Amino acid sequence: MPPKQIKGEYIETDTGNKVSRKSVILGSQNIILGGKTIIQADCTIRGDLRRTVAPGQQSGNVAIAVGRYCFLSRSSVLRPPGKTHRGLYSYYPMKIGDHVFVGEGTVVEAALIGSYVHIGKDCGKFTIIKDCVRIEEGTVIAPNTVIPSFSVVAGRPGVVVDELPETAVEGLELKNIYRTI
Amino acid sequence: MPPRSRISVEVAKPPVDFAPSIVVAETASLAGTHRIRIAANTVIHPRAKLNSALGPITIGRHCIISERTQITAPDSQGLTIGDGVVVEVNAVVEAREVGEGTAVEVGVRIGKGAVVGKNCKLSPLTRVADAEVIPDNTVLYGAGERRVDASGTAGARRKLLERHVDSLRVLIPSNASKWMS
Repeated sequence: MPPKQIKGEYIETDTGNKVSRKSVILGSQNIILGGKTIIQADCTIRGDLRRTVAPGQQSGNVAIAVGRYCFLSRSSVLRPPGKTHRGLYSYYPMKIGDHVFVGEGTVVEAALIGSYVHIGKDCGKFTIIKDCVRIEEGTVIAPNTVIPSFSVVAGRPGVVVDELPETAVEGLELKNIYRTI
Repeated sequence: MPPRSRISVEVAKPPVDFAPSIVVAETASLAGTHRIRIAANTVIHPRAKLNSALGPITIGRHCIISERTQITAPDSQGLTIGDGVVVEVNAVVEAREVGEGTAVEVGVRIGKGAVVGKNCKLSPLTRVADAEVIPDNTVLYGAGERRVDASGTAGARRKLLERHVDSLRVLIPSNASKWMS
């Protein structure tokens, strides 16, 4: 007899994503998870806020793309950024790289987040965060900010306060966290 | 065992007064015993919480109430939200009044019985104390700093907001009839 399957907190997909049963995922057809990503309880992902296009135009159907080994903590919110362009308000797709950690209660409305990024809390609209960045807790990043690689960002509004050494990549890997869940 | 429905047992439905053109998401939560009035072209995102246990709630035209917000009437005099107000993710509003054209950003807390003037901007994670009065055109930012916005762009902002509402109308399926009985 096969061992009885324990109905755990997480649902595991074919590509190794672990998604909490208590998470709120809207518009799941517009979300791509790269694999081995963990989504904790009470996490909200707004895949339903996709791009609105004029009729007859090819519609992009990806609202949120997340890379591998990402970790979305409890109560965090991923929400595509939106703006008015040529008289039409539209949401734009959000891309997140690999090994991205999103802290508890964080609201992310960035346009692009690179790999090896650690976010403590709150992130503004249309931000571009490059690879290997650490954002401290309680930081508010102003809309349309571009944050360079290897920086530490803190404050309201968030400014670069420090630099990370080139070896920081190792400390920001999330493979071990994935194994513990 | 049949799968349990994710929506918990309904608490008493509050009496509602909805304009026909509003968008209320299926998973928005409206609770309480006093009347909730929502005027034309307002959007209530999924998982927004409105509680009228202590007093009536009135929401104006062209408002956007985002997910994970808590809108609670402070006492029997109720809560009035003016036209064109945007309440962002994780905000907690227990004010007496929020004036026309005000933006309440991510994670803002407005204390019990506070009065926020017209065209104010409450930046992310700022706080408004209980019973505090914020004059018109005030911008709250950083760690409690304030300034007066004299740019006079309220009209332009309102136009952008109306377009935003139009795009959300396409994206969010409305189920207002659930609350009307």
